[in-house]
Amino acid sequence: MQLAFITAAPFCLALLLALPQTRSHLGKTAQTLLSTALMAALFAWLVGSFPLVQAEQVIIQRLEWMPSLGIRLSFYLDGLSLLFGLIITGIGALIFFFAGFYFDDAAEYNRFMIWLASFAGAMLALVLSGNLLMLFIAWELTSVTSFLLIGFKGEKEAPAREGAFKALFVTSGGALALIIGLVMLGAAAGQVVSPEAGSGFVTELDVILGLNSLHEHSWFPLFAALILLGCFTKSAQFPFHFWLPGAMSAPTPASAYLHSATMVKAGIYLVARLSPAMYKNELWTNALLIMGLLTMLVGAVFAVKQSDLKGLLAYATVSKLGALMALLGLPGQAGLKAALVGIIAHALYKSALFMVAGTIDHVAHTRRINRLGGLRKELPVLFWVTVISALSMAGLPFLMGFVAKETLLDALLHYSAPWTGLIMLVALVSAALTALAAYMLIGEVFLGQRPRGLRIHKPPNPIYFGPALLAFCSLVMGFLLDPLVIPLLRLAVPKSFSLPLFAGFNEVFWMSAGVIGAGALLYLVREPLIKRITFPVSGDAVFREIIDYIDWAGNALLHFQSGYVRYYLVWILGSVSLMLVASGTLSTVTAGQTLLPQDLSMTATDLAKTFMLLLTIVAGALTVVLREHVKAAIAFGVIGYAIGVIFLIDHAPDVALVQMLVETMATVLIIIMLGQIRSGARLKVIHSLWAGRHDYNFGFLRDLGISIVIGSAVFVFSLIALQNRPERRSIAEWHLANTGLVNSEDAVGAIVADFRGTDTLLEIAVFTTAALGVLTLLARGRNGGGRLVPSQASVDRLPEIDAEAVEEIQDATSLSTPFTRLVTHFVLPIAILIGIAQILYGGSGPGDGFTAGVTIGLAVSLWYVVLGYDEARRQLPWFRPEQFVRLGLVIGIVNALVPLLFRKGFMGHVQFDKALGIYDLVGSFGLHITSSLFFEIAIAITVMGGLGIIIEAIAYPKSRAAADEGLSAAGIGN
Amino acid sequence: MIEFMFALAIGILFGIGVFQLLRRDLIKAAIGFAILFSAINLFFVAAGAFEGEFAPYLSNVQAGRSVSDPLVQAFILTAIVVSFGSFSLLLGIVNIISQRYDTVDSNDVTQLKH
Repeated sequence: MQLAFITAAPFCLALLLALPQTRSHLGKTAQTLLSTALMAALFAWLVGSFPLVQAEQVIIQRLEWMPSLGIRLSFYLDGLSLLFGLIITGIGALIFFFAGFYFDDAAEYNRFMIWLASFAGAMLALVLSGNLLMLFIAWELTSVTSFLLIGFKGEKEAPAREGAFKALFVTSGGALALIIGLVMLGAAAGQVVSPEAGSGFVTELDVILGLNSLHEHSWFPLFAALILLGCFTKSAQFPFHFWLPGAMSAPTPASAYLHSATMVKAGIYLVARLSPAMYKNELWTNALLIMGLLTMLVGAVFAVKQSDLKGLLAYATVSKLGALMALLGLPGQAGLKAALVGIIAHALYKSALFMVAGTIDHVAHTRRINRLGGLRKELPVLFWVTVISALSMAGLPFLMGFVAKETLLDALLHYSAPWTGLIMLVALVSAALTALAAYMLIGEVFLGQRPRGLRIHKPPNPIYFGPALLAFCSLVMGFLLDPLVIPLLRLAVPKSFSLPLFAGFNEVFWMSAGVIGAGALLYLVREPLIKRITFPVSGDAVFREIIDYIDWAGNALLHFQSGYVRYYLVWILGSVSLMLVASGTLSTVTAGQTLLPQDLSMTATDLAKTFMLLLTIVAGALTVVLREHVKAAIAFGVIGYAIGVIFLIDHAPDVALVQMLVETMATVLIIIMLGQIRSGARLKVIHSLWAGRHDYNFGFLRDLGISIVIGSAVFVFSLIALQNRPERRSIAEWHLANTGLVNSEDAVGAIVADFRGTDTLLEIAVFTTAALGVLTLLARGRNGGGRLVPSQASVDRLPEIDAEAVEEIQDATSLSTPFTRLVTHFVLPIAILIGIAQILYGGSGPGDGFTAGVTIGLAVSLWYVVLGYDEARRQLPWFRPEQFVRLGLVIGIVNALVPLLFRKGFMGHVQFDKALGIYDLVGSFGLHITSSLFFEIAIAITVMGGLGIIIEAIAYPKSRAAADEGLSAAGIGN
Repeated sequence: MIEFMFALAIGILFGIGVFQLLRRDLIKAAIGFAILFSAINLFFVAAGAFEGEFAPYLSNVQAGRSVSDPLVQAFILTAIVVSFGSFSLLLGIVNIISQRYDTVDSNDVTQLKH
């Protein structure tokens, strides 16, 4: 459990920071201290768990998540996770603190920290996860948060957008490969665990790592390649490295944290994590070794070419990531120790250097290396931080980086292969170039002449805290190997090993010394040297080419988009027919059948249904033939009612009721809307479509032809489908048998409110979304942005716009006679009573929360039709659709969650009356107080609100809309 | 036979709906869209609710009467509600087009992008 809390803590921090109350009540300093304290506490907790991990090797904690799929939330803490966890929380605390002083603007800082804290949570979840699928989710979360952080300044800066897109494109592309690889790995592991079951699927890490024949599985090459692709893209290996320099448009604290210390090491982590199960296959190790060495060299060469301080650091990071990959690729996990030492050393010096770069950017407003120089006097603290950290990067003796480089060279040197010489050459050249980059950081930025025009201001002192502490660690960690580093590594490295600070004057030492010296020599000749380095292609150019091709393909596809519905219909119809015919479905199903009816006899109910069907056909034809829209709308209503009667005959009273109510509502809506549209506009289209009574022009015939073809196709399809429909009911039998269990008489009601309640919850959410869509469309469309709901002021204002508008309103409310007003006033309370009855007794007959909502909605719509928009709004002040929707959805969700307290599962059935001991009392009124009842209430309120929103939006007078537009232009009202 | 009638009605209603969509009159197009929905709902009910002599109520089940398939009905309920939601969205679109462009002829509307 504790591990779950540890993982959740940063997310909670993000939520807390996102609360408006936090933003208004806590200042930037308070937020900084809070965030830093939390990360420090997590760091302390992980340090405290050290003895436990030492004793147990692995701590595994599991929570049920999706038991039906066998997927659990598993947390896994061993030496490797602990090492990464310490880096994430430790460096995290320093970065969080640093960020508090990097940002000047409190709101910007808050926004940044919400994402940075979310990232910290995702990254912790990644390294603490004991389940491959959970690991993948965390992996994707880090990509998403990284995208948000890189694009942090995306509103203003194009490079930020571009960099964010590039990073997401590459890392989530790799993640696609990764998920396939992980799923295949899980399936392969399932086969290994239980060969006879065959289809088992294993995602638990401890099971997979316990297998020792996975590397012999026949799928190994495929899933290993896919997983490595994911890791290579994430950890910026060549040729996918180019996103990392692009990511430097992130604010520097994010670069220091994500793009040097933690996220880019996720690929390294996963490789190290899976290595015990994979390393015995040479494909795995060789791929790692080759890609790693290549990346190491390329990164180092690119690094010295950079003119941007952060770009240099980014490519140096790429090079280091390559070195780590290569170390993990040494056979028999020989490089694991060196890799872990390298991770520690790199996290210490690179984060410090990034924070230095960020501070310089903050005080000098530039990161161009050639515009910087001579900052030693002004920024002495930064100077010494940089000296220590950069020398650690170069690998000068007794700094932490020195230990890392010694172990790296030592590990590579002991890899005896025909091409060890080549490997050593690559490693030494890269190391020398890295040393050169490190010297450049010191020399070009802090020494020499200060360029003219470079002005700096003093940064706040606390900004030095993080980098100084990290530099101090780089300085002393080498002397604390025995008490601190070695015990930690012993947890993660299976073999016994030694890690001296100074191994004596052996060949590794001389190589190391040579590299440091070579770096110094290169520094002296750097200017001509760097000019000499040119590249035929850059990763960016290739990326742009790829994007261009995608654009080109998109444009090519656009040529198929004519914009005419008829052509789309022809395409759709054509492809569906082709699929049905080509797949042989049609001929298989219809084999030995005649489509035309053989038996022409009909029962009485069949006759009734036939009559109703004919009625729908006639009414359908009328919607076409009747030119006036009002008449067509009424004919359309007839179709709906006829179908309702068919439902009734077919023993579906619930459906019939809903169908009729909805049909009425739809017809009313059409009629309200017709009142909104200028009659001239309507007449115009009627005239242009029906010019001359018998003038059936080409367009008419063409449309008729298409419709006849489509209608015939649907006819044939339906006929075949209906004649071949399955006889046996499947789960419906179970529903019928268990309807009594949920205190319902009506099986349909029981399915809607209980058995498939989640469906219904989503359905009302969809309905609400549609309603909000109508509102947004109409409100936004009218006002050109601004408020969604008309302000109370604009409602109270009487329309006094122009004569035509007044006339139109009178026109729309011409139904308002004393009699209709009386009816209107009576109908609403009756409708509410009917609605309540439908909710309370919905279980024992047709009608449920939905019909209740529609019934009340219909009564309200009558007010709008009869009294007009203004009077309806004035006389029904309690009818607040937005509030209803909110209330209804909240009740629905709370009601869905309450059964969890009764251990019934989400949307379970709870009998509150039984729990309260009033079952018999309410039962004597024919009532059952259950979770279904509250669900029905939620549905009713939501639907009522949704309908209200739709009615108000559609009935909103046009003249008022024009007035609103004028007001918003003048800056009043809205 | 009744299957044939259902199929016929479904096919014709579908054709009518498509025809309305193809014409340039946006109001009629909205109506046509709703007719398409009706045809599809009709198809579902025809596919599911044929057998059974009684409504799917517990008392009918306990009395041993054959009842119609409740699951299909529940699905149609959902379908009706969702299609009504999309229909009202469509009406909203037609409404805003008619106000913005002062027309209900889809050929007059050429600048929806802006």
